[in-house]
Amino acid sequence: MSKSTLCVSAVALSLMLGLAPADAAELKIGAEIPLSGNLARVGSAMNEGIQVAAEMFNKKNGKHTVKVLVVDDESSPAKAVGAVEKLAADGVIAYTGGYGSNIIGPASEAAEKLGKVYITSGGVASELTKRGLKTFFRINSSEGYARALMGMFSEVGIKSVAVVYSTKEATEEVAKMLQTGLGAKGVKVTMHAFDPATNDFKPIVHKIKLQDRPEAIAMIGYENDYVGILRAAKVLKPDIKTIAGVWSLATSKMAAEFPDLMENVSGTSTLSYPAVFTTPEAKEFAETYQKMFNKAPDYLGIFGYVQSKLLFDAVARAADAGTIDKGGVASELRKTKTESVIGKVSFDEAGDNPEFTHRMGQHQAGKVELVWPLEAATGKMKYPALPW
Amino acid sequence: MNNSVKIAVFLALSYVAVPLALGSNTYVIGLIVAALTIAGIAVAWALLGNLGGMVSFGHAAFFGVGAYVSALLTLRGGWPVFPAMLMAGVGAAIASVATMPALRLRGPYFALAILAYAEIFRILATELKPVTGGAAGLLSIPRLPNVLGLDFGSKLGGYFVILTIVVAAMAAYHLIRRSAYGLALKAMHDSEDATRVVGVNSIVLKAWMLMVSAFITGMVGAFNAHYINFLEPDYAFAGQWTMLAIVSAIFGGYRTVSGPLAGALVVYLVDQLAFKPILPQGHQIVLGVLLGAMILFNPGGMMSMLTAKFLRKEASHAA
Repeated sequence: MSKSTLCVSAVALSLMLGLAPADAAELKIGAEIPLSGNLARVGSAMNEGIQVAAEMFNKKNGKHTVKVLVVDDESSPAKAVGAVEKLAADGVIAYTGGYGSNIIGPASEAAEKLGKVYITSGGVASELTKRGLKTFFRINSSEGYARALMGMFSEVGIKSVAVVYSTKEATEEVAKMLQTGLGAKGVKVTMHAFDPATNDFKPIVHKIKLQDRPEAIAMIGYENDYVGILRAAKVLKPDIKTIAGVWSLATSKMAAEFPDLMENVSGTSTLSYPAVFTTPEAKEFAETYQKMFNKAPDYLGIFGYVQSKLLFDAVARAADAGTIDKGGVASELRKTKTESVIGKVSFDEAGDNPEFTHRMGQHQAGKVELVWPLEAATGKMKYPALPW
Repeated sequence: MNNSVKIAVFLALSYVAVPLALGSNTYVIGLIVAALTIAGIAVAWALLGNLGGMVSFGHAAFFGVGAYVSALLTLRGGWPVFPAMLMAGVGAAIASVATMPALRLRGPYFALAILAYAEIFRILATELKPVTGGAAGLLSIPRLPNVLGLDFGSKLGGYFVILTIVVAAMAAYHLIRRSAYGLALKAMHDSEDATRVVGVNSIVLKAWMLMVSAFITGMVGAFNAHYINFLEPDYAFAGQWTMLAIVSAIFGGYRTVSGPLAGALVVYLVDQLAFKPILPQGHQIVLGVLLGAMILFNPGGMMSMLTAKFLRKEASHAA
């Protein structure tokens, strides 16, 4: 090859390389998520879903690729704010992640100050979408959780329920929805609030056993609370027919880590475990997840996947329109109206997904079977059935 | 180098050089603000420990009370942020009056009693739901204001506010130490009974130290509430506010005025900038090891170690 040919080739190559970024770009997305501290278990599961979403987007999009930068918020509100700022300094366009309304609150306000979109599925307190933030989005809400729990109780004809709930905002909100919703249906509801720092639940369970004598116990808290309540109930054995809760309960991690406590316990879940997938997108998600993490996904992974996929698509559209720096990501997300793996998703002005409804799963022999609603069920609900 | 030159260099570095060098890097400024927040509590803790001779495990109580007072005054009372922050200090000092029965206790008994007070205040904040919002906490607390074109709500503005609080706390620590009260407090360290015999009211002196320490911690708590715009009882009264301050003060040297500040900057920044990227989970263990080593090999802390080295170097030059 002559020198001139080499020169021409080099110039052509450099021109091609120089032009390429104008069309295709690596889009940096930040994931602020608890990977240590008391929310590490749920945070890790959500993070797996985020990674799967990135892998699938990069394989499919063709034009753009996303790079997810992850920072552990250590389950702390102040560290979450620090994580958001660090990711901004690293050049991210928007954020996905977050778990716990008390952490998502300050983290999303920090994102708003930076003018960047923050999307989550980890915080359902209604206060989050009442702050008038322009860049906050979430794919779930507390109503969806309360509706699912009430639906399952109505299905089996429960007449009395003792609600044991943490006094945190999101948990208290769901508990009050249960009180109102079940009360309207003629169900006798007794309420038992507990401080988030509580770890001995025997006094509450004892009171339920001797005073309330309900047919069911509803637990509205977080993983450590569920474990504490179930341990106390296993010791005191109240005469109930079923025990159920909401988020972070009907998961494969809980089944694997607390097999002696989880049997026959129900919780909100969009998926059975091991999951049965029907749509092509869901099948691809499950295959990718299995390939990346050598296990089947659970619902937390699904939520992480859906929120991230919607964000990546919106960022790509904004990049195409050249509006990333002009609030384009938020505008594109607001245009979203799609049928996702967790059902319909659209966003109202406050960033909430009004279409969200949950399902109920029950731990059965190390698996999670969807038991409500009947049209989505993968197994029959065991009732009456308890972990002891 | 004499003391006034050292102070001038420190002020020039912190008020001019740091903002000029790092002002555009909001992440690093954010980390420095977090470190200074801990430094503020550490200075207050060291003041009580060194001058008052009292080891407190419950400074989170004053931090939380200050944070809530300021947040509520601004959110519900419509107060401007800076006056509310001053009232937060006053509120924390008043709260410290409630802990004064514990002044009769000594050593570990006092430390544990103050820890119990922190828990009591946390439960009060949780239970006084109509006022504090209960466990749900308070969102959208007003940010630091814009005054005469200076936006204190920005990262850099927040840096100047917390830096000023810490510098003022250090100045107060220094002035008290140099005063007659400081001498009396020092004498109390050697023998409280002997000091009382010569007419020093040790209980009153200790009470003043507790109030000053609580005032500073309350101001820092208020700053934090307006800086991250969020508050809940578990966060406001978290043991981490006390533990990190103690670790910083001991690491830096709580018997020196600058030790708690130096300790907080090193402990927090090294942890977040150096150890966390290497060990994303469990990075705190490295700090634990370093603190253990410091206590074992140089109980006086980092600043006393550096001062001793500096003095040795000067002595060898003089020789």
